Amino acid sequence: MPTDHSTLLGVTRGLLWLMLALVAAAFLFVVASGGALVAMWPDIAAEAKNSKIFLDADTMRPQLFALLGILAAILAVAVYVLRQLQALVASAASDPFIPANAARLRRIGWALVTAQLLAFPLGWVASSIAVSTSKFANMGGIDLQGILAILFAFVLAAVFERGTAMRDELEGTI
Amino acid sequence: MAIVVKLDDLLHAKRMTLTDLSDRIGITLANLSILKTGKAKAMRFSTLEAICAELECQPGDLLAFDADG
Repeated sequence: MPTDHSTLLGVTRGLLWLMLALVAAAFLFVVASGGALVAMWPDIAAEAKNSKIFLDADTMRPQLFALLGILAAILAVAVYVLRQLQALVASAASDPFIPANAARLRRIGWALVTAQLLAFPLGWVASSIAVSTSKFANMGGIDLQGILAILFAFVLAAVFERGTAMRDELEGTI
Repeated sequence: MAIVVKLDDLLHAKRMTLTDLSDRIGITLANLSILKTGKAKAMRFSTLEAICAELECQPGDLLAFDADG
């Protein structure tokens, strides 16, 4: 039904903006954390030692910087994916079967591949500085849902490409 | 395109305009124009049937294959 369709699109649009806001907030948090690592390292090291989460709190500052850098990169990828999704949703209101959407979905697929690849060093760095039983050490690594999302994006891109070609053919049929 | 649409010739022979044909067979002038200028990618049997019935011709009179096209 058209009403349900437009409601769903409206909700999706709102959710995408909300997610963008959350990612932006997370990015600010990462930047602030980087600043704190520079300005307040002795306090942070002392706090980290007390938490008993980290293996060697005194020497882990470079790894924490690397961790924040990777997190920032993943968040940048998330912003890119969300912006592509926003463009997709915007086109869905009028005409979704356009070549640009197939390209967008393929770009989303590659962005998700990038995010998944960034999750590996994230996992290595996290597990190198944290106690293996802590949640912190389990950050990153292989994510089955992420791999499924990558496959989903590429399959959808192929579907959109084929759908666009079929519709072009149909439009040229008299 | 290798397939040549000879709608112009048939209309001329019948002293009919594209607008007349459009009115009689119920296919839009825009679509008939696309067909006439050879820009159509495909043609429905129902369209072929309607044109042939109205212009009293065979599909072969309307379409031709041009190997050099």
